Amino acid sequence: MAHASAGHRRDVSASCRHRWTMTHLRPGYLVVEGCFHCRQRTSFFSTEPVPPIDDYREGDHFWTHLGDFQASVFDLRCERCGREVPLKDVLAIMLCLRCDPECGVYKAGGEPPAAGTWVYAALCANTSHVSGVCVSDTGIQALNEYFNAGLESSGKRIVVVPCRLRRSVDKCQGVVLADVGLTELY
Amino acid sequence: MKVTELAQKAGLKAFNAIPDKEIRGVYISDMVSDIIGIREGNLLVTLQTHKNLIATANLVDVAGIVFCRGKVPAEDVVALAEKAKIGLLGFEGDTWTMAKLLVHLGLT
Repeated sequence: MAHASAGHRRDVSASCRHRWTMTHLRPGYLVVEGCFHCRQRTSFFSTEPVPPIDDYREGDHFWTHLGDFQASVFDLRCERCGREVPLKDVLAIMLCLRCDPECGVYKAGGEPPAAGTWVYAALCANTSHVSGVCVSDTGIQALNEYFNAGLESSGKRIVVVPCRLRRSVDKCQGVVLADVGLTELY
Repeated sequence: MKVTELAQKAGLKAFNAIPDKEIRGVYISDMVSDIIGIREGNLLVTLQTHKNLIATANLVDVAGIVFCRGKVPAEDVVALAEKAKIGLLGFEGDTWTMAKLLVHLGLT
């Protein structure tokens, strides 16, 4: 019986025109670290009240805190079929400002860019992509469907791509969707 | 109500050309990590004037943004909003006064 129900859910999900909604919204901190030994970057999402800033050694790496930003992570759930897409591998989203024509994120917007098209990169923990791991294709597809829902009549199109397309993390001028300026309010 | 109509009725200062978008709701927040969860068509009322806010507002397709307490966005922020066709408006009073005014004008 349980197998039949699961199979039924899979069938419904496969044919569903998903209507995604955010679920499991978790506030926390996007923490970026760098290894001065190999110059790699890595990131993680911390839900601790105060983000960790300690340096530490991990194998050949000597990780040093480079910065942290208040942010939130979330999953997507379809209101129609109940399917959930966990986005544990998405630490933040970044707007591409089209600073480098050779960058894969830039190219995702087209050349010349299509009118009303905005490219955002989903940022994973593996900032330098040495391991080749990045945000899943399923996650990218769900994010595209979520952020484009309701835009049909606006002439705007959002394109979300995995951050592995980014040519250089050091030269990138993209705008990360995280909280800054909270101490400049007053 | 359209953003242009709101600007006129509430006496708001326009920092750029205001696209004539329909306001479908109002959302008040100063946190990008909070705003990323709203849906399209909201008027965003905030104290924040940085570029990250515009990048987020564009992603969730806000109808317009009202900066309260006389906050003035920098030129590059206005330029990005212009490109994203997001109208930026300024209000001298505080956020609570803006909220009461919006309700008075029929935006709930």
